[in-house]
Amino acid sequence: MKYEFTKEELEQIEQIKGKYPEVLPATLPVLWLAQNKFGHVNEDVQRLVAHTLDLPEAHVHGVASFYTQYYKKEMGKHVLDVCTCLSCQLCGGYDILHYLEEKLGIKTGETTEDGMFSIQEVECLGACGYAPMMQVTNDKYVNHLTPEKVDQVIDALRENKELNYERMKMPLLNENDI
Amino acid sequence: MKMTSDMAVDWKNYEPVLIPNIPDLHKIDVYEKHGGYQAFKKVLTDKKSWPEPKSVVNEVKEANIRGRGGAGFNAGLKWSFMPPADGKPRYLACNGDESEPGTFKDRKIFEYNPHVFIEGALIAAYAMQITTIYVYIRGEYGDYIKMMEKAIDDAYKKGYIGKNIFDSDYSVDFYVHSGAGAYICGEETSMLESLEGKRGYPRVKPPFPAQKGLWGRPTTINNIETLSHVVSVINKGADWFKNVGAKNHPGPILYGISGHVNRPGVYELPSGVPILDLINEVAGGIRNGKKLKAVIPGGSSVPVLRADQLDGVTMDSDSLREVGSMLGTAGMVVMDEDTDMVDMLWRITHFYHHESCGQCTPCRDGTGWLEKIMLRIKNGEGEIKDLDLLLDITTQMEGRTICALADAAAWPVRHTITRFRDEFEARCKKSIHAA
Amino acid sequence: MPEVYIDGKEFEFEGKPKLLQFMLDNGLEVPFFCYHPSMSIPANCRQCMVKVGLPVKDRETGEYELDENGERVIRWFPKLQTSCNTDMSEGMVVLTQETDELVKRAQKDTLEFILANHPLDCPICDQAGECPLQIQTYKYGPEGSRFEVKKVHKPKRVKLGPRVTLDAERCINCTRCVRFTDEISQTHQLTIVSRGDKNYPITAPGREFNDPYSLNTVDICPVGALTSADFRFKARVWEMNQTPSIDISNGKGCNIDLWTRDNIVLRITPRYNEYVNDHWMPDVGREAYKIFNENRISKPQIKLDGETVKSSWNNALETFAEQIESSASDELLFVGSAHASVEENYLISKMANLLGAATPLFVPHIIEGSGDGFLLADDQAPNTSGCRLLGLQETDAEALRSKFDNAKVVILLNDNLADRKILTEDDLDKVYTVFFGTNRGHTSETADLVIPVTVAAEHAASYVNVDGRIQRTFPAKETKYANRRLNLEMSEGRLDRYGTSFDNWVTEDNKVDCMPLWNIFHDIGERLGLNLPYGSGREIMSEISDTLPSFKGVSYEKMDDLSGIQLTKETKQVKTK
Repeated sequence: MKYEFTKEELEQIEQIKGKYPEVLPATLPVLWLAQNKFGHVNEDVQRLVAHTLDLPEAHVHGVASFYTQYYKKEMGKHVLDVCTCLSCQLCGGYDILHYLEEKLGIKTGETTEDGMFSIQEVECLGACGYAPMMQVTNDKYVNHLTPEKVDQVIDALRENKELNYERMKMPLLNENDI
Repeated sequence: MKMTSDMAVDWKNYEPVLIPNIPDLHKIDVYEKHGGYQAFKKVLTDKKSWPEPKSVVNEVKEANIRGRGGAGFNAGLKWSFMPPADGKPRYLACNGDESEPGTFKDRKIFEYNPHVFIEGALIAAYAMQITTIYVYIRGEYGDYIKMMEKAIDDAYKKGYIGKNIFDSDYSVDFYVHSGAGAYICGEETSMLESLEGKRGYPRVKPPFPAQKGLWGRPTTINNIETLSHVVSVINKGADWFKNVGAKNHPGPILYGISGHVNRPGVYELPSGVPILDLINEVAGGIRNGKKLKAVIPGGSSVPVLRADQLDGVTMDSDSLREVGSMLGTAGMVVMDEDTDMVDMLWRITHFYHHESCGQCTPCRDGTGWLEKIMLRIKNGEGEIKDLDLLLDITTQMEGRTICALADAAAWPVRHTITRFRDEFEARCKKSIHAA
Repeated sequence: MPEVYIDGKEFEFEGKPKLLQFMLDNGLEVPFFCYHPSMSIPANCRQCMVKVGLPVKDRETGEYELDENGERVIRWFPKLQTSCNTDMSEGMVVLTQETDELVKRAQKDTLEFILANHPLDCPICDQAGECPLQIQTYKYGPEGSRFEVKKVHKPKRVKLGPRVTLDAERCINCTRCVRFTDEISQTHQLTIVSRGDKNYPITAPGREFNDPYSLNTVDICPVGALTSADFRFKARVWEMNQTPSIDISNGKGCNIDLWTRDNIVLRITPRYNEYVNDHWMPDVGREAYKIFNENRISKPQIKLDGETVKSSWNNALETFAEQIESSASDELLFVGSAHASVEENYLISKMANLLGAATPLFVPHIIEGSGDGFLLADDQAPNTSGCRLLGLQETDAEALRSKFDNAKVVILLNDNLADRKILTEDDLDKVYTVFFGTNRGHTSETADLVIPVTVAAEHAASYVNVDGRIQRTFPAKETKYANRRLNLEMSEGRLDRYGTSFDNWVTEDNKVDCMPLWNIFHDIGERLGLNLPYGSGREIMSEISDTLPSFKGVSYEKMDDLSGIQLTKETKQVKTK
């Protein structure tokens, strides 16, 4: 598959470069741009980013491999990042993880046969008060998970429904939906 | 456990200022209607009250806003380390890489009141004559990155950011930079490396960021919440701020309470609230009627406290230090009597092993070693000598590394084992050499 | 000058040195891995820990505070410092592992951590014997291992590039190799990949590490993670003799070490010279070791009726003498070589002079544009400047060919003119060619009389590089007539000094049947009645420095002391940082 940037995307990249005094800092934002477009940043995508920004390929490879959110290979359509750290572990994060594994029939780190779902176990996502929870494809957080809620989310994703942003309120202030 | 409601800190009558009870405060018109950006306007235009940028630094130093990112360093004092302006670029890097387990408070500012943070950052930038502000938000907070970009865009449109703000001679730019999944990038110099587009390896200090930060230029790094407090200091004065909460750690704090409580969530309260009040009154007590076993007061890096150590302990630096812990980020994790401390500690060592950047030897090899021994103990294969080996390794890791991640990995291991020794020994095999 | 106190001893310093480099310069030892004097300081191995303190100064009076014993009060830094990036200041007090238990413990702990995941590869690792990790563990490390869990596994035996092999498990992540490609060779081909204890150095995916200076990373790697693919499993370090020499594959004249075992040169490594090549050398120079071993001309050859036959030395020298005597001086053509040493070219020149023949010519071997401005010059020969300074006449292929038309006997010094395509084999056939050569090739096959001479690895002689610096070689390989014990210039390894005859087997075939040019000319001189009484290169250099003004003051002792002598104006320093 040929990986390329369109003219609009190249203009976007120029805008990104304009935020910094030199080219090197654009490595992370452009890798994000590439991942949002292609779904991952495998070797070929990393090479494309390096050539577009005129940076050494080894540098882009080193950066892409350091950060966990960049997918180094093609993942399922929906990547389910289940948090199992500290608070989520205490509130049943591992139970949700095992439930998901059973439900989808794969182990953590694998992708389903039909390419729809991948499961990953991740570190703290910053939603400790709403444990257990998971993040869907580096985007929406799904909080206060129970097996029923997991079922609902999986069904919604299968039907290609957009997940809504879940507004988690401050407990002392919720008279005004805050 | 005594419920202490008669103490110096009057938290029950506290009116939140950071995230007040006003709907739609993220919209700039609503924010302006409630007095938003007035503080910034004052410091820029009211030359009688704020004759020069230094006067802002002094006021903030006087207020003693201790860094809310975990280190607790006086923000105004940190600002005073910046060298005088010389016409070349100077940077403010706002640390929104909230990845410490147990911490989830900065996201509330992003969501409910982004403009208080923007205003605080602008005031800080004016005080230190900064030319460009970067806010580094962790990559997982995709929604909040979009919210911040919109809020900054609105502020640009209204002229609060850009050239010659309020017709003064001060200009500044404000950009959002997204992280990509690395806890180490919350360390200040590692965040600078990540902003510069490289692998997030912390830098050796000295030179300090105030001398040589981003691209070799003077840079200050502050936490999101810390900068948000600057607005109320300017609006209400340092004296007001100093009288909120505990004297040694003044001002309101966003407490993030999670774990086995009935009402987990983020609460804005003055500092110095007794821990037991936080758990039993604010957060509604332990769920399912269980008893309290342990509390981690400020994020996974700070030492755990047993339930019997919590009498009279309040959420401020001095009190927590006396009892053998730290305030950290005030992200409290509450554990009930059914919690398996061995499992919990193993998961913490797994976290640090996964997040170590790998630059220097003690952390890179030490965190992995700690996790592997904890795994053996968790699976029932460990021996008593493994516990002493763990304590030895933590001594070898502490204070020998470039950044504090090794310390943050060592403290939970040392203090959890020391304070729950019986539970750990019970999990170990009886050595064939035991008496 | 400001002073520091290290382990109780006082040292004076000037400028702004870093503590570790200062201690190393003064003969003190502190273990380290990631520090390298020519590159940036990352301070990530945490091995060079020391305890540092500063004396307390009274703010008002500016005097040092004293305690009850009259000693200065020292405020110790709360944490141990890495000496590699500690700036020295007036009055600083330093305690190393020699005098402080905590420092000793800290260094031991760091080694324990490094060894925790390090594989037990010493028996099969090429680095053994020259491995800083081995040496420092022996001196400062823990006694046994407390690591009873599984070590991390990473790729092994990876073909990183055409010349470098990577074993990622052995890597201690000092990042010297990555910094080398970023700062010194500037090809940016290496990076550290992944995070935490799973990290290791690698190239970009699908790319190979074909940096023209890639083998320098093998030298600086403190463990056996990066090893030379060519040298893999060839020999153990302690079996080889190490001899200083000069790179003769390029005009830059990089300082090298030749490693020989049983009189075969097994590898070449760079030698530090602050004026020429710092700690580095190009990869092509390392491959030159093969010409010392392979395709050597052993025993003189004579062409009889179109066939080449081996001849005895007496016969060959007699044939040479007859050719000289039967020719007029204007029928003799002497051709020197930029590939030969100063002493050898001088001998040719002197003989031509004594016989009344024309000054010798030489054709420089310069390929325009092949240099890279760092350690590869356009000049492919090590001694072009030397030939010029000796007064040999520089010429080109055209002019040389026309000279051949008028000559009857051509005396050619070690320049493969036919292989270089300067002349054709027909050109050489037209005259009676006497070739003083080292390696077989078209030239040696076409010449009428071939007399083998020593190659740079077998004699002590000097070469002047493109920047005008004269440097000399030491003999590393024995010939049939040179003995390591008797020739004081040659190095002796452990096995030579302490081994029995069963340890240090000597393969006679590895010794080439050749002689230094001065020994040959000594005998010729006696036969022809010419005054060429030199017994060594040293004597020749002594005469050169007395008679030729450009070589004034040059001697072997001085070249050894000063790492070479600059004869002409300095042209360009090698760039390091």
